[in-house]
Amino acid sequence: MEIIKSTLSLTEKLNILADAAKYDVACTSSGSDRRGKKGFLGNSCAAGICHSFSADGRCISLLKILFSNDCIYDCKYCQSRCSNETPRATFLPEEICSLVMEFYKRNYIEGLFLSSAVCKNPVYTMEQICHTVYLLRTRFRFNGYIHVKAIPHAPAELIERTGYYADRMSINLELPTSEGLRALAPAKTRESILSPMRQIQDRISEHRMLTGKDPRLERSSANRYLSGTIFDTAPSRKLLSETPAKTSAFLPDSVRADRSFVPAGQSTQMIIGATEETDFQILSVTQALYQQFDLKRVFFSAYIPLNDEPGLPPPGTAVPLLREHRLYQADWLLRYYGFRADELLSTERPNFNPHIDPKCEWALRHLEQFPIEVHTADYASLLRVPGIGNKSALRIVKSRKSGSLTFESLKKMGVVLKRAQYFITCKGKTLYPIRLEENYLTRQLTAEQEGYTRRIGQSAHENWRQLSLFDDMGLK
Amino acid sequence: MIVFTCEDTFEAMMTCIYEAWSSKAGHKNIKLKTEPIGNLELFCEYRHTDGDMEKCRKVIRAIQQKISRRAYHMVFRCAASEHPEKLDIIYRFLLLGFYYGSRVLSMLSHPAVMAFFELDRKVSNETHLFREFTRFSSSENGVLSALIEPKSNILPLLYPSFEDRMPSENWMITDVNRRLAAVHPAADETYLTSLSADELTLIRQDYFQQDIYTDMWTGFFQNIAIKERKNPACQRTHLPLWYRKYAVEFSPDPDI
Ligand code: SF4
Repeated sequence: MEIIKSTLSLTEKLNILADAAKYDVACTSSGSDRRGKKGFLGNSCAAGICHSFSADGRCISLLKILFSNDCIYDCKYCQSRCSNETPRATFLPEEICSLVMEFYKRNYIEGLFLSSAVCKNPVYTMEQICHTVYLLRTRFRFNGYIHVKAIPHAPAELIERTGYYADRMSINLELPTSEGLRALAPAKTRESILSPMRQIQDRISEHRMLTGKDPRLERSSANRYLSGTIFDTAPSRKLLSETPAKTSAFLPDSVRADRSFVPAGQSTQMIIGATEETDFQILSVTQALYQQFDLKRVFFSAYIPLNDEPGLPPPGTAVPLLREHRLYQADWLLRYYGFRADELLSTERPNFNPHIDPKCEWALRHLEQFPIEVHTADYASLLRVPGIGNKSALRIVKSRKSGSLTFESLKKMGVVLKRAQYFITCKGKTLYPIRLEENYLTRQLTAEQEGYTRRIGQSAHENWRQLSLFDDMGLK
Repeated sequence: MIVFTCEDTFEAMMTCIYEAWSSKAGHKNIKLKTEPIGNLELFCEYRHTDGDMEKCRKVIRAIQQKISRRAYHMVFRCAASEHPEKLDIIYRFLLLGFYYGSRVLSMLSHPAVMAFFELDRKVSNETHLFREFTRFSSSENGVLSALIEPKSNILPLLYPSFEDRMPSENWMITDVNRRLAAVHPAADETYLTSLSADELTLIRQDYFQQDIYTDMWTGFFQNIAIKERKNPACQRTHLPLWYRKYAVEFSPDPDI
């Protein structure tokens, strides 16, 4: 094994370790705004920049690789687990640095996304990751975007050091519940995942306060017009008093002073569809992560069956892409539309409808609140109308001050009338005479979204089996 | 009808606007057009203007002071467009702007303003796409070189973002169709220069020389896709085929 490894060329290592990294979803380079510096390579643009699109249609923004896929653990869902026969490789930190520098100069990437299997032990792995980003920032003078994974069970000191060189850090929650984790990834515990997450959160807010910012991350600016979003109902934690400064004393002040700590915030991801959790459970966990850990993003990864394992969907099972998509839509509703998880789903209705998006589904269940009058409804209620987004809601509120609206002008403001028409009146009139009746509207909206819904699912033959499953469960 | 014409350079266009404005011929009776002029129309008088730095400056100052700096940035972008009527669109916008001041930027439903915004949006979008999909190759002497074929003349808008991104490398970006290059020496300011046909040929040959990193990038690109999620339609909408010409990961053919 050792012999084979040492003879791998850099190209072969890259192929193996890119292949092993592809199941990590986040590839965004967003959240950090940093100008270039003379003598350094790179800058960072808050909106993120995409450099290509891979064959699965996902954006490529970062060099997404594992440091090593030579894992000592045996998580049941994972391609790199130690009981699988698969080619193994481990980079040298310098190799990663030169790949980043050379790719970056050619404008292939915005930076690095470095994750890793647990190679030898968590301490060693985290050391290598930390050393890599340290080299990149110092010896190689790289000023572009860096996203690194924290390894569960890694010592706090290493995690903190790493954070001073990274734009974003993440630690994968892997599975939405501790039971799921225990069943599928016995070497990891909830604690070993949440405690680094907490540590990173505390350092971020401490650092933000030192630089005169609010301890919690900025959220969508439109949220200030809403009350009761998940972000303002978040239980506040007394960060500094709870965790005295001693934990941040790992680095000399001189280093800390001119470095920001994970400025683009923290994210995580969980696997969807490997275990039995409902959408309601998943979304509640998501909300809790935003509230209690102030995460920037929560990512979902539709489970791709790679291993033949009892208790897991067998290889060849359709990848639940549509379900993943619905969860992303719901996540959006939490972050930008002022919805809470328990408004969208409940223990009685624990899963999203595959045929229509979560916002339509919510509106159909609350027909008593509709139609609303666009001239008088407040911003928060406008936002809840299917077919009205953040931008169009703001435009409506602004422009109705200076004159009255028509359906034509609503359309120009970006309102999708095909959807919104059932839920709004303009000067007391609906666009067409309609019946505000649930079954009828469900049919209309399903038909309107059908093509779109099919496109989301088609890539992985997310076939009718998946959909009929929902039918069987009486969710239609 | 008097048609004021000029070369397709920023200086000439601003001068042309100056001449048209001060001709007092009545705005309805004039048109502005960049050369080459296709078919000459009957009953039109064509007046060519040469670029004049002094007049160009005056127009720029007028835009910044009477309208706003933002309006000037937009004019600069619109001037890069490949639209045959761009100069007239800019002129019609400026007429309104000189009358209404900075308020003109919120008169979105006025057809002249709309046309101007639309032009600006197209050029901005194209510039952004090239920020994403421009690819450099590295020659033996360490100079990074990129080739682009934009529809609009976006190179002057594009290179500042690479200046910020790679301040201390030697690089150049060449607009193949306009034979125009932005050259950035590691320790110096970026400058624009036009290229001879021979120079362009040499640059092209160099560009398509692959090195180990182009191969590794192609390998990475193939390995990072999840086959269970393959979705070529989605990939195509994001990255239109014509942008792929110079992107190594789509194995470009040097003969196209
Ligand atoms: S720790 Fe688990 S999930 Fe991570 S690489 Fe190892 S086996 Fe895979």
